[in-house]
Amino acid sequence: MELRINGQTYTVASDAAEPLLWVLRDELGLTGTKYGCGLGICGSCTVHVDGEAMRSCSTPLSTVEGKAITTIEGLATVEADGTETLHPVQEAFIEEQVPQCAWCMSGQMMQAAAFLSNNPQPTEDEIIAAMNNNYCRCGCYTRIKTAVALAAEIAEERRA
Amino acid sequence: MTKTTQTPAEPKAKGKGLTRRRFLQVLGGGAAVLAVGAVLGGPTLVREGRLAINRVFLTGSAPSSPPPKDPFVWFEINAANEATLYIPKVEMGQGIHTSLAQIAADELELDWQTVRVRQADASRGFDPQLIFTFGSTSITALYQPIREIAATMREMLRTEAAAQLGVAAADLTAANSTISNGSQAKTYGEIIAAKAGAWVIPEAAAPLKPDADFKLIGQSVKRVDLRDKVTGRAQYGFDMRAEGMVYGAVARPPRYGATLKASGEGDARSQPGVVDVILREGFAGVVASTRRAAQAALSHLDLTWEGGTTINQAEMEAMLTLPKEGGTLIQREGNVDGATGTVIEANYFTPMAVHAQMEPQAALADVKTDSALIHTSTQAPGLSQERIAAALKMDEAKVAVRAAYVGGGFGRKTGTDAAVEAALLSQAVGRPVMVGWSREEEMQQGYRRPPAANYFRATISEAGDITSVHHEMASGDVLFNPQVGASGGFLEVLLGTDPLAAYGGLIHYSLPAVRGIYHRMEIPVPTAYWRGLGSFPNTFAIESFIDELAVATQTDPFDLRLKYRPADDLGRRYELVLNAVREASGWGSAVPEGRARGLATCYDRGTVVGLVVEVSVNESEINVHEAWCAVDPGLVINPNGAAAQVEGSIIMGLSSTLIEQQTVENGMAVGNNFNTYPLLRISQAPRITVLPINSGDEPVGGMGEPVIGVVPAAVGNAVFALTGQRLRLLPLTLA
Repeated sequence: MELRINGQTYTVASDAAEPLLWVLRDELGLTGTKYGCGLGICGSCTVHVDGEAMRSCSTPLSTVEGKAITTIEGLATVEADGTETLHPVQEAFIEEQVPQCAWCMSGQMMQAAAFLSNNPQPTEDEIIAAMNNNYCRCGCYTRIKTAVALAAEIAEERRA
Repeated sequence: MTKTTQTPAEPKAKGKGLTRRRFLQVLGGGAAVLAVGAVLGGPTLVREGRLAINRVFLTGSAPSSPPPKDPFVWFEINAANEATLYIPKVEMGQGIHTSLAQIAADELELDWQTVRVRQADASRGFDPQLIFTFGSTSITALYQPIREIAATMREMLRTEAAAQLGVAAADLTAANSTISNGSQAKTYGEIIAAKAGAWVIPEAAAPLKPDADFKLIGQSVKRVDLRDKVTGRAQYGFDMRAEGMVYGAVARPPRYGATLKASGEGDARSQPGVVDVILREGFAGVVASTRRAAQAALSHLDLTWEGGTTINQAEMEAMLTLPKEGGTLIQREGNVDGATGTVIEANYFTPMAVHAQMEPQAALADVKTDSALIHTSTQAPGLSQERIAAALKMDEAKVAVRAAYVGGGFGRKTGTDAAVEAALLSQAVGRPVMVGWSREEEMQQGYRRPPAANYFRATISEAGDITSVHHEMASGDVLFNPQVGASGGFLEVLLGTDPLAAYGGLIHYSLPAVRGIYHRMEIPVPTAYWRGLGSFPNTFAIESFIDELAVATQTDPFDLRLKYRPADDLGRRYELVLNAVREASGWGSAVPEGRARGLATCYDRGTVVGLVVEVSVNESEINVHEAWCAVDPGLVINPNGAAAQVEGSIIMGLSSTLIEQQTVENGMAVGNNFNTYPLLRISQAPRITVLPINSGDEPVGGMGEPVIGVVPAAVGNAVFALTGQRLRLLPLTLA
């Protein structure tokens, strides 16, 4: 089966029922996407499939064939000379010093990035609703709220 | 920030820490008293000996291993003048790689832009026991040693620069990774590259820079690990990979304490992807080409489990019923039995809870005939090394353990199970094996916060003074878990308590009479270290009961705590903290309609904490809207990092306050994933204001744990103020 991930094409031999999470992590070595619960509850494994946030732990491989998958490794932009430009969400999460252990943060940032692409100027309540199904055990919630709002501002400035 | 003391030019010599030697002396003294007591058949002497020994455990800092003296073990500076700092504590989100590096870089006068941080390990000469990251002790244990080692290197560089430049060392100053006298300059990298012969480490400690010259200490320096963490590049134990790696899974008992009586391969070996089936006495595991294949094959093994507990929740709670006869005396001030007045009694209960750190424990082991290399998410590489060596029957010196980034610790990553399992399986198959626990394994088969009960009986005089407090606590164990802590006779007999479950059980207020009695409950469910240890249940209970006494004496909760604040310097720090949080929270001012505020305070691991929360209730639901927290660890190294620890403690504490409990039925924990054991969400998080306070000129307290215990008490006290309902069971549930 062929998968399109972060703009590259990969051929994988995994079973069609295998969750995308374990194919990414164990077969392709893209370990930035994290396991948290396996039930699609905690959000640690969130990736983008055709631009929408999806829980890769409960997404069978068969459902993503031919679709554009983005993982945390593909969220930043890399120029031809190797210069890496962080996505506004990544930049904001550093600026606000959001992550502690950061195990949940790939999922948090992928969730936030997909949300902001659909809603570039969200209210605080909309941010909370969008981020409400992503657990953070270190308790970075207050900073996540601030950082997602800041990411919206950064994206706005970049568009200007 | 509040800065209340003068900054002396020379930090004073430190003698507060409990060295291993002093610790053993105290233990030895206690043992002698206890032995004499036992020989004479004197229960009084046994009681007195235990009181003294428990006092050491409950008030002293933990013994720590000596750090290496050679600065070049810690700090590498290359010819391009880039510095690499090797930090002997594990980064699990608390920001310790940043805060220890900023202490070192400040004293060594490094250009912060050139600093890179790496995890230290045994291969560089660091004792794995030193790397043990626990108890909010990293800063207090290493602040002084790191400064001394960095200062020594700075002076060695200055002396060498003088020789290389042919000028007097006294005319040279160090700044920005460069030594200069204004006209001539050499970078640290150039000095080191040009050094002929070996460096000589001076005997005498170099002078430390004056606090007034700090450039990094006390600043909100940004975390050094976040770029790798926001791009997915950071590698945790669960992310470790090796050529030819396969995946391991291990069969689990259906009840705690059950043992594997008989095991057969069944048709596990013929399942897809299975590489090998490994059966040993008391152990059954599968190795397969994928993680899912290994776990799926487990159900095809032919296993017979025997014994174990069938305990259920009601039976366990009955074991914790208070008051009880006996117990071990851990605190005695004045004469409680002679106190008179109106009697007030209360019982509090804290249930079991899991760590639910987002990364379950995981390890990659590569075991050869005569050596083993294990990468794992661990707070305790030394303990891992011991346990792996024992399991492999290999000399400890041949077992190398490398601590990866830890995806949440909270005490759980002191566990060594995944590392031992990966090592055993790798030894059996002769290939690198990765074992990463599932969430279900993590929640059921790990250890958890023990259940705890607290009972109080206080007396109040007619004048409204508290005349005595009698406090009994009963808890499952924390230290005496054979998997991760101490086990076996001597220490248990010596103490009569589990000292880490009793942690936080001392009442620090200056009261005429206080008595504390601890009842050790050996429940058949694995319990051990959880953020704050006994401080969580004990602070919840003590600070809620203090609020009950404020109500009973018709005293403002702040005024009551100030009236009975501890004597001496601790009392001064209580005043600073209480006044700061009283002002910030607007205590006494009008509260928004339908809301009320609650206060709790504590002294924990050297840090004084004051927390005010503002709550509302909506039918059966408790909502926490605001939190103001003042924390005084003596000296704050990184205010923003400290604030993050406080925010995290409040959120995690709130999750336990409002939601979490794990129960046990038929000998096994109920609640094994987030569908049956949910955590607090972002929509339930309050706005948080953190007030870091410097009451002195050195860090004397930790930051990762001291705040967790005040959270349930402050919320419960606010709920009482709002509803008149006193909630004494966690999670707090309105009638």
